[in-house]
Order: sequence, then C-alpha cells, then structure tokens
Amino acid sequence: MTVLIVLVALAVGAYLVAVLESWAVHGRLEPARPAISALALLGRESLLARTPDRLFFEAGPVVLLVAGLLAVAVIPLAPGLIVTDLATGALFLNAALAYVLVALIMAGWGPNGAYAMIGGWRFLGQFVAYAMLIVMPITAVAMRAESLSTVDIVTSQSTLWNIAYQPLGFVLFVAAAMGLCWLPPLDLPTARGDLAGGIEAEYTGARLAVLRLARMVLIMALAGATVTFYLGGWLGPWLPAWAWSAIKILFVAGLMVSVGRLVPRVREAQYLEISWKLGIPLALANIFLVGVITLVVPI
Amino acid sequence: MTPQMIFLMFFGGAAVWFGIVVFRTLSMVRSALALLFSQTAVGVMFLLMQAEFLGVLQIMMMATEMSVMAIFMVMFMMDPGGMGAMDMTHQKRLSLWAGGIGFVAALAVIWLADWGPANLQIPDATEQTAELGRELLGRSMFIFESAALMILTAMVAATMVAIHPSEGRKR
Amino acid sequence: MIPELIIALSVGAALFGVGLYGALSQTNLVMIIMGVELILAAALVNLVAFWRYLYPDVPAAQMFVLIVMAVMAVEMAVGFGIAIARFRSRGSVEMEEARELKG
Repeated sequence: MTVLIVLVALAVGAYLVAVLESWAVHGRLEPARPAISALALLGRESLLARTPDRLFFEAGPVVLLVAGLLAVAVIPLAPGLIVTDLATGALFLNAALAYVLVALIMAGWGPNGAYAMIGGWRFLGQFVAYAMLIVMPITAVAMRAESLSTVDIVTSQSTLWNIAYQPLGFVLFVAAAMGLCWLPPLDLPTARGDLAGGIEAEYTGARLAVLRLARMVLIMALAGATVTFYLGGWLGPWLPAWAWSAIKILFVAGLMVSVGRLVPRVREAQYLEISWKLGIPLALANIFLVGVITLVVPI
Repeated sequence: MTPQMIFLMFFGGAAVWFGIVVFRTLSMVRSALALLFSQTAVGVMFLLMQAEFLGVLQIMMMATEMSVMAIFMVMFMMDPGGMGAMDMTHQKRLSLWAGGIGFVAALAVIWLADWGPANLQIPDATEQTAELGRELLGRSMFIFESAALMILTAMVAATMVAIHPSEGRKR
Repeated sequence: MIPELIIALSVGAALFGVGLYGALSQTNLVMIIMGVELILAAALVNLVAFWRYLYPDVPAAQMFVLIVMAVMAVEMAVGFGIAIARFRSRGSVEMEEARELKG
C-alpha cells in the first residue's frame, strides 16, 4: 500500500516537474506538453544503431530507472509513509545513486556511437567531481542526527532545519545533486550544443521515453533527498505532513530545473577543478564545524 | 533448506558466474561490468547475512570502482570492443590447474574443518552500525587511522607515478 | 555443522579459484587487477560469513572487512598508476612484454 502511494506521488511529482522544466526551457506554461511528447515518443519507431552492444543499449535506461526508484525507496514523505526505513538509509541512497553512473556508461557504450560514448565517459569525469560532495555533506547531516536512518535524520531537525544549521553543506549538496542528474549548467553528458544530445543521441522512441522518465525520477529522488537532509522533510506548521513534503520537494525540484539554465555550461575540467580545490575543503570544513557545534551547542 | 540458504546459493552462484564471464567475454566494458555485477552479488550476500552496513557499502563502492576500471580497460586494451576476437591469455593450462587446485583445496578445508557451534545472536542493523562506529573510533582507532594513512600514501604515490615526467618542469 | 556458513565459504572458494585463474592467465595488467579484485571479494565473503555465523558479537570482524575494502581501493589506485606510467613509457600494458626484471 505504501509502495503504491509513493509511486503515485512520484508519478504526479515527476509530471509536474516535467511541466516546470518545459516552462523553464520554452518560456510557455503548457500543462499537457509532457503527456503529448511522451505519447509522441511512444508512437515513434525505436531505432537500433548498427552493431550495438545490444545488452547495454537495452539495459541502460532501465538500470537508470531502477536506480532512481531505489533511491526514492528510502525517502520519507510523512511519518510512516516510507517504503523501507533502513538503518543505513542515507548510505543506501548513495549506493542507489552510484548506479546512475553505471547506467549512463552502459547507455553511452551500448549504441556504438561516438557522441554517445563521449557523453558516457564524460559523466564518469563528472562523477569524480561530484561524488565526494554528495557523500561528505551527508556525513555531516548524519553526525547531527547520530543515525543513518532517513526518518531519524528528519526528526533530528525538529528544532532547527539543517539548512540553517549547516548552510555550507546545503549549498554543496544541491550543487552536487545538480551534477548527479546532469541538469544545466552541468549537463555535460547530454550537452545539446557540442555533443548533439550525447547519451540521448542514439536513443529514439520508447527507449528515449524510458530514459527521460528515469531522469525525472532521478530529479525527484534528489529533490526528496535535499528536503529530507536539509529542509526538515515533512516538518512544518498548520498543514498535514504529506502536504509539507509535497510542497518542499516540488519547490526544490522546480528550482533545480529552472535556475541553472541562467548560468553558462561549465566545462568538465573547470568542474573538476572547482569541486576538488574548493568544494572538498569546504565540505571538510563543514564536517568540522558541525562536529564542533554538535558538541558545544545542543540544539 | 531455509530461504536464507536458497538465496545465498542463488546470489553466490550469480557472483561466481559473473566472475567467470569477466574472463570469457571479449568486450572490455562488458568484462568490467560483469565484475561489477559479481561484486554486487557479493554485496547482496552480505545483506542476506544481515551485515547491512557492509552490504550497502560494498554495493556502493564497487559501482564506482568498476566504472573506473571500465574506462581504464578501454584506454589500455588494444581491442576494447572485442570485435577483433583477440586472444589475451597466456599459460592457460597452468592457470586452470592453479585455479582448480586452489578451489578444491579451499573446499576440502571448508568441508573437513570443525567450525564449532554457530552463534546466532545477531544484533539488529541499527545496533550493528553504532557498534561498528564505536569500534572504529575506539578500540581499533589506530588500525583505522593507519588504513587512512595507507590510502593517502597510495593516492600520492599513484598520482606521482602517473604524472608525466616532463609535466612538473613547466612552471 | 552450519550449512549457511559452508555455502558462503564455498562461494568464497569458487571466487578465489576464478580470480586466481584470471590473475595468472591474463596478459593485460588491467585484467590481472580484475583477477586480484575477485580474490579479494572471496576474502570479503569469508570474513562476513565468519562474522555472521561464528562471532556476531565482535564488531572488530566488521572492521576487518572495511580494511579489506580499503586494500581493494588502494590496490586499484596503485595498479592504475603503474599502468599509466608503463603505458606512457612503453606504449602498452601487456605483461608478456614486461621482462625488464627477469634475470
């Protein structure tokens, strides 16, 4: 039952975020647009490249979708409304998201196309840049909650949300999350201008529809993770818990898909340099600060 | 036959099967990802054995490691796509014998040894994680720190070995 | 006699055999590293099985697994560092061609 509710919520949320994204891209608010383009994609022929690695070509989008769904499984939407409350939930989220990289390498290698392959390997470089910045802010969050369980992490924020407690970690985490679901300005694997679609270049028809859906699920999962770790999850006055979760997740997802478009695309070398020379020292400083605050000021 | 035994056998079989696929397939990316699936099956076995933290950690770490492995394969192999059907093996008979003897010897030890009584008092996952944390930062802190130092040394050494000799002199 | 322990250890033994075969039979450095990774995975399975069925109350056993995982990562990093250096200087990482240290 919980699984069904979470899946329906996920589908509705993904649809709304798709509407928001098309609004951010095209400048017009068209509520029917994602449905129409999904139907169009399903109706189109799904081409197969010449001498593909058929197994990876078919498995890539599906693995991406499964990774996104597994990540959603540990995100609490309300007290009790969570698919599995694992004792190592925050780590499990990381484990699920690590398979995004595997899926993209499969999708890049599979179709036997130059642009797709460059897109896939580029994402590996991007992964090296963002991976530490996903894990280290989560470490600081878990330090405050004294638990890796996502439910405990939400309840630990009842007095003060983590966005106020560790703003540095929030900024780093959101930036890394945008790298993880390759949103602009970090959309290196699909880079429309210089890679002609990258990993999406060889996918058509139903397979492309699965790939796009998987990416929407991924964006929802990361927005959910941001809300769980930094914005107090379901906590909030007046409204019921699920409404707060919905509002916060949609707000974060909307920000993630729209704001980055105002910034020019970052080159992968620049991204790596910024992440390792600036991001990781900041993340370490964040862990240190949170440790000191947790010990000295009991909030 | 308990369900745990059946699942252990299934995922153990998957781990071994993918391990064999690693050395049988010609495509290098397939080979690296087969190793990933083998390691993931090992991680699932950890989960079945109720070592939740270790299982999740194994599944997470191996995804990254094997993807990096895949790009190194593509960089350094003469035939990464496996379309030229090159043979990349040597001393095959010796290796088969060595692997076989190792396997049989280990099996013999496993079957002949007296493992004593089982201790099935498993702490639950939350307690396990907390206990592991206390162990890491308490009694075993020195070992943990030396492992960290080992990683740091390896990182520096690997980077130094990998840097092109002429690159350092530019500035 | 603990059947689950026997199953897990047998899987470990099979992984060790496959890994040993791979490490000895492959000519490419990267493939040899893969064989070593399989052998280490076999060690991991055994360690977790020992922890689970013989010493579940000793967290130090889990820490041993963490150290082996660290060894896996280190082994890969150093191996790839050597691979890059060798590829730069010799143009290949085929171990058939690496005979400099042979007396």
